Amino acid sequence: MPEQPYEPEGAIAGTGMGGAMDLGASEAVTLEKTPGGPDGTGPAEKPRSLWSDAWRDLRRNPVFILSALVILFLVFISLWPGAITSGSPLTCDLAKAQQGSGPGAPFGYNGQGCNVYTRTVYGARTSVTVGVLATLGVAVLGSVLGGLAGFFGRSWDSLLSRTTDIFFAIPVVLGGLVLLSVVTSNTVWPVIGFMVLLGWPQISRIARGSVITAKQNDYVQAARALGASNSRLLLRHIAPNAVAPVIVVATIALGTYIALEATLSYLGVGLKPPSVSWGIDISAASPYIRNAPHALLWPSGALAITVLAFIMLGDAVRDALDPKLR
Amino acid sequence: MRGARHARWAAGAAAVALVATGCGGGGGSGGGDSGAVLSASWGDPQNPLEPANTNEVQGGKVLDMVFRGLKRYNPQTGAAEDMLAEKIDTTDSQNFTITVKDGWTFSNGEKVTAKSFVDAWNYGASLKNNQKNAYFFGYIDGYDKVHPDSGKQTADTLSGLKVTGDRTFTVKLSQKFSTFPDTLGYVAFAPLPQAFFSDHAGWLSKPVGNGPYTIQSYTKGSQMELRTWADYPGEDKADNGGVTLKVYTDNNTAYTDLLAGNLDLVDDVPAAQLKNVKNDLGDRYLNTPAGIIQTLAFPFYDPQWNKPDSDKVRKGLSMAINRKQITDTIFQKTRTPATDWTSPVLGKDGGFQDGLCGDGCDYNPTEAKKLIKEGGGLPGGQVKISYNADTGSHQQWVDAVCNSINNALGNTKACVGNPIGTFADFRNQITERKMSGPFRAGWQMDYPLIQNFLQPLYYTNASSNDGKWSNKQFDQLVNQANAESDTGKAVQTFQKAEEVVRDNMAAIPLWYQNGSAGYSQRLSNVKLNPFSVPVYNEIKVG
Repeated sequence: MPEQPYEPEGAIAGTGMGGAMDLGASEAVTLEKTPGGPDGTGPAEKPRSLWSDAWRDLRRNPVFILSALVILFLVFISLWPGAITSGSPLTCDLAKAQQGSGPGAPFGYNGQGCNVYTRTVYGARTSVTVGVLATLGVAVLGSVLGGLAGFFGRSWDSLLSRTTDIFFAIPVVLGGLVLLSVVTSNTVWPVIGFMVLLGWPQISRIARGSVITAKQNDYVQAARALGASNSRLLLRHIAPNAVAPVIVVATIALGTYIALEATLSYLGVGLKPPSVSWGIDISAASPYIRNAPHALLWPSGALAITVLAFIMLGDAVRDALDPKLR
Repeated sequence: MRGARHARWAAGAAAVALVATGCGGGGGSGGGDSGAVLSASWGDPQNPLEPANTNEVQGGKVLDMVFRGLKRYNPQTGAAEDMLAEKIDTTDSQNFTITVKDGWTFSNGEKVTAKSFVDAWNYGASLKNNQKNAYFFGYIDGYDKVHPDSGKQTADTLSGLKVTGDRTFTVKLSQKFSTFPDTLGYVAFAPLPQAFFSDHAGWLSKPVGNGPYTIQSYTKGSQMELRTWADYPGEDKADNGGVTLKVYTDNNTAYTDLLAGNLDLVDDVPAAQLKNVKNDLGDRYLNTPAGIIQTLAFPFYDPQWNKPDSDKVRKGLSMAINRKQITDTIFQKTRTPATDWTSPVLGKDGGFQDGLCGDGCDYNPTEAKKLIKEGGGLPGGQVKISYNADTGSHQQWVDAVCNSINNALGNTKACVGNPIGTFADFRNQITERKMSGPFRAGWQMDYPLIQNFLQPLYYTNASSNDGKWSNKQFDQLVNQANAESDTGKAVQTFQKAEEVVRDNMAAIPLWYQNGSAGYSQRLSNVKLNPFSVPVYNEIKVG
């Protein structure tokens, strides 16, 4: 991660971080105001930072726009599912079992006579909640542990590396079947907890690598020489410059967590009825595939589109943040 | 010409298929290949296959193939007929003299004698062997000594059993029990060879019996290989070379395997396929009445479910279930809404009484809501219906029952299903009294008597009284009915006992189940007996 736009010591560090970006003392001034804030995109007339550069790229990327629209829509219906549906996803009328689309039920009814459209819309909340919270948890835990290990090195690093090795060795679905089958609580939290537990090593490795790269930079050495404390070094000099790869991987992982939630719920160990989840609906509809394929296809389609949207978004963000790919 | 070419290809393919399945082309008139082995769907039994310790269907299936008892229930009518019994004499319905037929041996060559029965029954009854069906020996004199309700046993053998000759023994019951001989076809009364006692572990790993099949191998979770016993002395010799019972944890997979030609016989057609089954299989689909009733049992050991007013909650739940809609929609009319606690296969004379349940089994959401409120509401605000997810399409109907209850109560979270992966695990959780709410309790009769639909299920501490319901009045009526020498009066007294079950709603009757099965083109003469178990020994292959 070459560019160091928010580095107050950037000027001191000289040309360490490649060309156009560390143009000047003016940056040091900006940064007094937005210390370490990677999202601050500085005034327009200033040389563009990594983030503003990335944002400019993203805005012009149709893949990003499309996936962002899909995600915005998903977030919207997760927050206000009632805005586009009427009735409860748990109200089912067996008399309508397996019927095709009808008034108020554009997606038809499933084997139990539940409205597939309502259930698909309400299912988005579970998926988005699990995806976002699991990603946040993984990103925070992974980058903190990985960052500390990378920064302090030595035995901390060895300890963390071996620990991540152990976690990498646990097969995700098998681990889920074992751990979640003993959980009786029927909320999203055990599922999220499980994903964080098994997901953090991936992020921590990336964070560790990126912190190790960043800490060898001249400006960090300079700050150290000037007597900056470890926490200052980490928070103000290293973290802002090591966070990009974490964001990229986490965004892509978000999609896979959504798929994993559906997988676990399909297998009966994630969320359980009466929770509403696409995985549960896919599982319940699969025996009826010959007579009522719509009950299977709509939640499956919603799941596929959601996962795809997050992965495409992650891809677009990676392209924008990683100039090496340009 | 193109058409003709296609026709030739098709004929060629058909010929290949015929050769591959070992069908010589004659078909119809031929008796099939008596050496060919068929494969059938199955589930792992809960316990090792000791006859007196098997009270569930999957283990019972195998025991029915490898054992023959004194009586056997006619595969068509269910009537108890002499099998190994030459005669069973009694003058007072309390003392029986049983003569065993000559010429029977176990598949290891050992002779079946009166002692084989007496030893087996003593083993089954003894407290220290902890056999689930011990209860079936409860009417034999001396049972209270070998299997006391509490404390240590003071005798190892039943004083009511005496070997009087090589082939004769006497049974003295502690009270009159007129239909006792009819119960002797149940697998718990099977004879056991000496090897069972001398090398118990060895016997368990490969049970040896006296039936038309022998067990060749069993891999838990995978399959059991049964082969025809060539020297079987009985008349119901197997018409095929053997049966491979394959373990399925999902009946949909079994059905798909049947359609794909990987499996010959499925005796549990998934509910989701009932719409297609006639199309898929044509006349290779069986749907026959069977002695099975599905109920919801309650954990009476949980104080939450055993409060003075709990019967109102139970009755309310029963009235919140729209049985007709569920049997019509989920089961495509292969089940009949239940209106009593027995089964129509018993017939009117046998004790089946249509409508005995009364309004408690009628769908009436308003009354249901009222009753549950009066009874103090649902324990914990929610009922969890536990079921095993591997057989019987239970998820579909439990979800439907829950939706029906939810709709009736106007609360979308009043009822939820609680799936348990496998039948064996489900049974274990029940025996360990881990249920916290109602649970599925299907009952497949052991013998076609009304007694069998009531006593094992609702009598205090009976073998399959999974909910541990206990009612003195009921127990007393059952004792009275068993003592009755006139069958008609006995049935009436049992029906009075059944009314006690009704008044307490000890279990919610759901529906009478038909036996359903589908089979491949290789098989012919496939039948289900009144217990809904395929009559394996009569199946012809090829």
